[in-house]
Amino acid sequence: MFRTALLRSARSAVRAAPRCQASIARPARAFAQPKQIIPAAYVQAVRSYASSAGLSQDEVQGRIMDLLKNFDKVQDASKLNGESHFHNDLGLDSLDTVEVVMAIEEEFSIEIPDKEADAIHSVKQAVEYILRQPDAH
Amino acid sequence: MARLSGLQRDVLSLYRQCLRAVREKPSDTRSHFRDFARAEFHKNQGVGKKDFGTIEYLLRRGRRQLETYQDPGIRDLH
Repeated sequence: MFRTALLRSARSAVRAAPRCQASIARPARAFAQPKQIIPAAYVQAVRSYASSAGLSQDEVQGRIMDLLKNFDKVQDASKLNGESHFHNDLGLDSLDTVEVVMAIEEEFSIEIPDKEADAIHSVKQAVEYILRQPDAH
Repeated sequence: MARLSGLQRDVLSLYRQCLRAVREKPSDTRSHFRDFARAEFHKNQGVGKKDFGTIEYLLRRGRRQLETYQDPGIRDLH
């Protein structure tokens, strides 16, 4: 059903605006469904309707790593990767961890309850938590 | 990290409350409040884990301070 809707809206988008597609198209954006033969420009028009797509794991991880890179308490940035533990790898104490988790809250515009926030000790746990939140963005 | 005691969780919870309160402050002075909260907590980081009396006293003092600084009338720290 989703596929039909996708095709239909793609078709109507083509009919409605054959001119402006070139300007909407952003060729740099990777397209996740390589099987479809529709050129990327049409898909771009469809994407703007279906904005409910959640965050990808890579994006979440990238944003969290950027945030940690800019955090002045991180002592050894070379140890920063998707698996880093805040305390064991990055040398953060429990107060710093609270700060990191709060920064993550702000980054994804959500509020993490104390109990769950206390359970986040590594980049991986943070990524998993964010992916579980439907309203993170 | 080892499991935290109730008292340790209280401290972290207060720290979190403080950082949340900082967000309510005007954006240009926010960093002053944040640095202040940071410094206050780190100042007493050396207090022993078993020194319950001191920790409880500091928690009480911190909560009172938070209440005071939370007042919207306070817009900057020097």
